[in-house]
Amino acid sequence: MRDDPSVLTLVARVGEGDQLAWNELIERYSPLVWSICLRYRLNRHDLDDVGQTVWLLLVEQIGNLREPAALPGWLATTTRHECLRTLRAARRHEHGGLPPEDQMPPDPDATMIDQELIAAERDAALRSAFADLPRGCRELLSLLISEPPHSYADISAKLGIAVGSVGPTRSRCLERLRRSPQLSAFLGDHADVITEAKATEGDHGGK
Amino acid sequence: MASSWSDEELLAALQQALRARQAVPPEFVMAGKNAFAWHNIDAELAELTYDSSRDSDHALSVRAEAASIRALTFTSASLTIEVEVAQDSLVGQVVPPQAGTIRVQHRAGGEDSVPADEIGCFSIQPIPSGSFRLHCRTGAGIEAVTGWITL
Repeated sequence: MRDDPSVLTLVARVGEGDQLAWNELIERYSPLVWSICLRYRLNRHDLDDVGQTVWLLLVEQIGNLREPAALPGWLATTTRHECLRTLRAARRHEHGGLPPEDQMPPDPDATMIDQELIAAERDAALRSAFADLPRGCRELLSLLISEPPHSYADISAKLGIAVGSVGPTRSRCLERLRRSPQLSAFLGDHADVITEAKATEGDHGGK
Repeated sequence: MASSWSDEELLAALQQALRARQAVPPEFVMAGKNAFAWHNIDAELAELTYDSSRDSDHALSVRAEAASIRALTFTSASLTIEVEVAQDSLVGQVVPPQAGTIRVQHRAGGEDSVPADEIGCFSIQPIPSGSFRLHCRTGAGIEAVTGWITL
């Protein structure tokens, strides 16, 4: 597990009763929980139920996590566990808390969970870095990735910049994104995985 | 490393990241934020340490009795909360025995409160229908909360 100071900070603030830090954790990791549930093809009702249970377990256990940096992994494993429980459950019993993260049983779907986890961490780093960009960059990049794609002429008209400077501004904004502390921290730890991710995602979208 | 991402790759990755967040319904995120209402920094978590319905030996031994009573035990660092499911109520005891207040917190919202007497005994009537948990506060100020229970 990587040592993400901001997760550590958020977990510590949650421990002190900080709702905003909790909200930030939910914003950051709800896509992870959601996407794992989709992998198990739960219907919407069960999906909401699993989400609710995972959040309740998190609020209960967050003070007991021995390694706060392992929180994303704990969430992924707990979500998987709850999805399987939901799929299996003919009848529901009281469930006590899950064991601490280091006592979880071996995970047969470990590969899928790892993929979701790494994708979620990469996405969270990208969103966080994107949110820190200057407004002009965010507007430009949003137009560039919107569907259907906008032409440079469109973008020029919408943002009031010369057509000739759309390309250079795009490069400059992407360079800022690339050099952001969030992405550098993530990429520094996952250089190998990025190469794989690029192979599978590089051809999607992005004009 | 970061510098190995081309502009196209980076843009595609950004698009994917923003979409992953947009794909999550707002109610799902809101439910997560609302769960913080259950945060209690003062209470110890009392984990389920025994459930008679999961204990096959126990199930066999009580089969001869008139009615098998479901029994649950929750244990925190300083308290144990024992609960038995009777016909129309939950009866329980706080160990070590001591007076206090038991709050029944319903996951759907709302809570009820019953006293625990000087030997820690309490009774909850009727049996809660949905998912709930018990919050115990002793006279000495020790707080413990059980995991979620659905009977």
